[in-house]
Amino acid sequence: MSLSVRNLSIRFGGVAAVSEMDLDVGPGEIVGLIGPNGAGKTTFINCIAGVNKPDMGEASWKGKPILGLTPAALLRLGVARTFQSVVSLHDLTVLDVIKLGAAAHARHKGGFAAQFLGSDKARDQELCETLLAPLNLADVAYSQIQTLSYGQRKSVDLARALACEPELLYLDEPVAGLTLQEGLNMGAVIRSVRDRFGCSVVMVEHKMDVVMATCERITVMAHGSRIFEGTPAETQRDPEVRRVYLGDA
Amino acid sequence: MIALQLAISGIATGSVYALIALGIVLIYKCSGVVNFAQGAYAMLGAYVTYALLKLGLPALLAVLVGMALMALAGMATERLILRRMLKAQIVSVMMVTLGLLIFFRAFCLAIWGPDQIAFPQVFPSGSIDFAGIFITYNYLAAFALATTLSVAFLLFYRHTSIGLMQRCAADNPRAALAIGIHVSNQVSIAWAASAALAGLGGALLATLGGLSLNISDIGLIAFPVIVVGGLESLAGALIAGFLLGMLEAFTEGMLSPAIEEFLRGFTTIQSVGALQQVIPYGLLVLMLLVRPQGIFGRAGTERV
Repeated sequence: MSLSVRNLSIRFGGVAAVSEMDLDVGPGEIVGLIGPNGAGKTTFINCIAGVNKPDMGEASWKGKPILGLTPAALLRLGVARTFQSVVSLHDLTVLDVIKLGAAAHARHKGGFAAQFLGSDKARDQELCETLLAPLNLADVAYSQIQTLSYGQRKSVDLARALACEPELLYLDEPVAGLTLQEGLNMGAVIRSVRDRFGCSVVMVEHKMDVVMATCERITVMAHGSRIFEGTPAETQRDPEVRRVYLGDA
Repeated sequence: MIALQLAISGIATGSVYALIALGIVLIYKCSGVVNFAQGAYAMLGAYVTYALLKLGLPALLAVLVGMALMALAGMATERLILRRMLKAQIVSVMMVTLGLLIFFRAFCLAIWGPDQIAFPQVFPSGSIDFAGIFITYNYLAAFALATTLSVAFLLFYRHTSIGLMQRCAADNPRAALAIGIHVSNQVSIAWAASAALAGLGGALLATLGGLSLNISDIGLIAFPVIVVGGLESLAGALIAGFLLGMLEAFTEGMLSPAIEEFLRGFTTIQSVGALQQVIPYGLLVLMLLVRPQGIFGRAGTERV
């Protein structure tokens, strides 16, 4: 088992945002995390991504405990994430943001000296080809983030996380706000990324078409804990999941 | 001819102002703190370089080792004092930098005493005669070193991975933190670079005008520089540095004598004093009235 989360709980005042949540993700597996609004999906990701410190529970990645680590420390273990709402950076170009991703993880080839020297044109080119082109961003490599559409910014955020060469990738609503077609494309990109890098993926998402097409296993969250786990087909058939999502019918 | 002569000495001192102001902008950008202690680092750098020269180090080595020591001092300040104040209000942190200024002055006073010290000859004495204009090697070297270092630093900031992380931390610290950049370490690097640049600036000022505690007053000149250039703009600090250096030189060399002569004709006033020290602040006030974000700044930058 690669990522294993047990009994994770966090409260904000009187609200138990996540309570006794469990999650397992195997090597190279794409797991979808779904659930109604307010189920605690993003809070859960924040807990295992070093943003919030949970009150209780354990989480380990490749046997190493990861709760309480900073995002920077997690990156060194190969854990990267994307965000639901895309961060705004005024001055930086798309390529700059991608390079940030590459620079932020200290396992970078060449080490410290390489960080001081050289803005390497060849490396820029390589990043363009391997990361920007598959996400249709090659044309805007030198544009500022602000000038891009929402969908493009989402792609930039994903490319930034991929530049960290992650072994475990959290995606927080990667296709929210995109059209269905864009969403399905993004899903295909996520699968190809997994095939190429062999990384495990945890993907929080609402768009069921995309989740069904992309994920191999689905965990359903409601009221802060896991209520169901299974393949996409099983998830669609399950009466409890239908009830939570659609109300009694 | 005299105008050209003044312009050259103005550019030389201005380049040093720019070097020192760069450091203030750098720290402000990534932590929001206006560092009032910058003048103190210039002064400390000058004294440390002086001490190294006294130990018998060759000039170039003394300058380089001095910068390295200053970088350590800057980093130590951030690690030991400012990092403990991460959650404090920005104004409190600025008060602490003001305290640092007083501390470093007292420190240098205790070790080297209050008197002006003749700074050892670092660059060859003499001057070159360029079409009737004399440029001493001191001025030439100060200009060359300060400008080279400023430009090198700007290139570093623009084109390297660390520079990129610096820019990201400066742009949006919360976002930088979230995507896995160790922002505190970036602030440390900013303090180290800033103190090293200021240290070199201080040493250069000492080669031009002797070594005393008053070098720390350069911090006060640096503020008009960054206000005119825009608190957020490194290039702005550079250009405003040259501008203020020249303005000072012209005030001292041409404006003051002209005003004094005029006054002597009609009144009993003999001197207008150090008008060149007033001019930068006049410009500062004017700038804040007309264009508060500075020449190169973005609107919305907080003024302190």
